[in-house]
Amino acid sequence: MRQSVQELFEIYQNNLYAVAFNVCKNAEDAEDVVQDTFIQYYSLKKEFDNEQHIRAWLIRVAINKAKNMNRAFWRRNKMSLEDYMETLSFETPESGELFEAVMNLPEKYRIVVHLFYYEDYTVHEIADILKLSESNVKVRLSRGRALLKEKLQEEWENDK
Amino acid sequence: MTNKEKYKQAFSALHPSGEISLEVETMMLKNKKSRFRTAMAAAAACLLLAGGSGAAYAANVGGIQRTLQLWIDGDVTNVNFEYNADGIYTLSYPKEDSVQTEHGGGVAIGEDGSERPLTEHEILEELNSPKVEYKDDGTVWVYYGEQKMEITDRFQDDVCYVKVSDGEKTLYMTVKYQNGWCTSPYKYESPDAFN
Repeated sequence: MRQSVQELFEIYQNNLYAVAFNVCKNAEDAEDVVQDTFIQYYSLKKEFDNEQHIRAWLIRVAINKAKNMNRAFWRRNKMSLEDYMETLSFETPESGELFEAVMNLPEKYRIVVHLFYYEDYTVHEIADILKLSESNVKVRLSRGRALLKEKLQEEWENDK
Repeated sequence: MTNKEKYKQAFSALHPSGEISLEVETMMLKNKKSRFRTAMAAAAACLLLAGGSGAAYAANVGGIQRTLQLWIDGDVTNVNFEYNADGIYTLSYPKEDSVQTEHGGGVAIGEDGSERPLTEHEILEELNSPKVEYKDDGTVWVYYGEQKMEITDRFQDDVCYVKVSDGEKTLYMTVKYQNGWCTSPYKYESPDAFN
């Protein structure tokens, strides 16, 4: 099956932007990743099994493109995370603290945490998207949670 | 609130600026002009690559712009190569029904940490080095000259060691999954020696 780019953009632009920002930590790079991801979808003419297949493909491509951005030697003049956060409207101060704590996690934990808590993917699905073993995903998720707990204390529950 | 609810509330603050264009012409124009190819060379033990590239075997170095034959993803391709003194190069070559244009460059890093732009010769050497590609289907491939090798299942603890040859030169590659690679004509470099 195929869905139009416009339709997918309406549904997934915020998700792709969030996952790209999670990797890049840079708004302009994240926007480029979103656009490049839709360009790839448009250009590829790939057939998908269902909507979940499209969603997982878009997220995986966005993560790979964001990682490529990070590997590029010439990066843009980056706005610091602190400066960018000042432009965001968090509903509560605790949300801002959680956002900052996540963004300060090592990248390999951050992506797994994001896919679990924001995209509601299971460990099995995250392993499939990131091409990691399930045990590796579990370890990264566990370490990411532990670091968040250490930083956020009572603002972060102990998930199993 | 559960952790998931808290997390979603925190990240709901993130939105793209609205400058993303989905106009087909704009998208395709961008597709033609963009991908930044980068290459970074260390003057010391090994080369650190921040991006991929085809392999050049042209010997004619010296002009500002010329046509070369490069290995692009395992195929010999005629490309226009342009270099400027800041270590920046532009490649353009036909791909399917359009012209693919790619830019890149790099610096050499001295042992004291000082940086200088790569010379044209050094950039051509970079273009002549192996390339690692991560495909959307999850497979990982190494290209060197006409050699094309899948290394997806050869990673252990996110590191793969692979020997490649273009028929004349043999290189020992250390590839860190999604985290760069390093080549040496003498031995496999330690994963800790780069990035």
